[in-house]
Amino acid sequence: MGRLLAKELMDNRVPNVKLVGVSRSTGYLYRVHGLSPDELRGELWDSEGFTKGSALSLMRERAFDVLVELTPTNLPSAEPGLSDVRTALSNGIDVVTANKAPVALHYRELTELARSTGTLLLFDATVGGGIPLITLRRLCMRGDELLSIRGILNGTTNYILSRMQFEGLTFELALREAQNMGIAERDPSLDINGYDTALKLLILANALMGLEKGLEDVKVVGIAKVTQEAVAAARESSMSVKLIGSVDSDGRLLVAPRLVKANDPLCVHGTLNAITFKFRLARDLTLIGHGAGEPTVAALLNDLHQVVEFRLRGTVSK
Amino acid sequence: MRQRVRLTCALIDRPGTLLRVLEQIALAGGNIISIVHNREIITSGYVPVSINVEFPDLQSLERARKGIEGVGVPVMGAESLEKQMVMAIVVGGVRLDSLLSELELRGYRVIESSTRGFGESLTVKLLMEVPADKVSELHEDLTSIAERYGALAVSEV
Repeated sequence: MGRLLAKELMDNRVPNVKLVGVSRSTGYLYRVHGLSPDELRGELWDSEGFTKGSALSLMRERAFDVLVELTPTNLPSAEPGLSDVRTALSNGIDVVTANKAPVALHYRELTELARSTGTLLLFDATVGGGIPLITLRRLCMRGDELLSIRGILNGTTNYILSRMQFEGLTFELALREAQNMGIAERDPSLDINGYDTALKLLILANALMGLEKGLEDVKVVGIAKVTQEAVAAARESSMSVKLIGSVDSDGRLLVAPRLVKANDPLCVHGTLNAITFKFRLARDLTLIGHGAGEPTVAALLNDLHQVVEFRLRGTVSK
Repeated sequence: MRQRVRLTCALIDRPGTLLRVLEQIALAGGNIISIVHNREIITSGYVPVSINVEFPDLQSLERARKGIEGVGVPVMGAESLEKQMVMAIVVGGVRLDSLLSELELRGYRVIESSTRGFGESLTVKLLMEVPADKVSELHEDLTSIAERYGALAVSEV
């Protein structure tokens, strides 16, 4: 995702933003006047000026203005993303992130840190890929009351369950196919066990409904026990088995395989995500879109646009 | 949203008590559908009365409940008369007879059940009639029963 984003930034998709550094776990490359496309074509450590070690020192020196944090989601530590975000915000650097764990597990701490340092923490890329869930709520539905949320928030499990439904594959075969196609990770446990969905649900519950929930508040059941027979039984009744994350009006958070009617707008297949917001006035609003990969880059670009607007005009929908 | 409920109250066997209850329902905007008042059943000095009422919304129901209790009549229950058909699937080694009786005990009427496979790969498909106000609890109840058998409950959203 980092390379995709870098390419978009080099193509000047966000005016006034220049890519000045790229960091990996082994070290970083930083040029105050900006990196060139050639420098990013090969391996980073082959580039002249590659510095071994952590890029946290650059943040402490405030060598740049915006951090795009894209390290993998790690449970339960949320590291190294958590340290990256904390250090950036503490040093007056705005943060745009697609890393779920820091935002899901430390939402209150990080948003208060951002407020106290006058920085932005934008994270629309953490949930729903290219579907602008956070921005939609904050820009378009400000006056309404969000009563509940329900949705398919993980494309990998949706792909597996769809293949079980339409091709009659067993869970194991569908998972292996997803891995071969690069849809599932080599270690798919975060997706299969439901914790990827749980983290996304926490972000939505805390950021959009004003709740203060932790991972311990989410009842999580994954899809590993879903059998071909169960999927077939659902199909006979014009239903599909889907991994659904939900926050109800009493603030109860649940992730579990559920039955969804074929005519429910949430009943999407393949790697699609779908989310239904229930508002008091606007009632049900369902958004459907693609998850991980390029669509997430679209969300990152939009968040970067918001940072630029904030810094140039002093307004943003936080 | 309209709420059709059965209010069960414990009336003191004294003239005028039922009238005071009905006044509170009317004041809250409730429309009485039927009343079952059997003075032959008296338990500890109280007569149970079941009143089927249609309220314009949940807030009206709550106003009526508070009003009735405010005139000294305990409200023993407010059961929804709206029913919803809900499908669920249980995967794993459950005992079907125990599963069905536990669901009935918790107020879920099983209309149809079918099974395929056996042992750990048993799949039980259930169609239940569920009071509208208990639909959100069904998944939790079904999960707690299934988990005792190491099984998975998959209920309709």
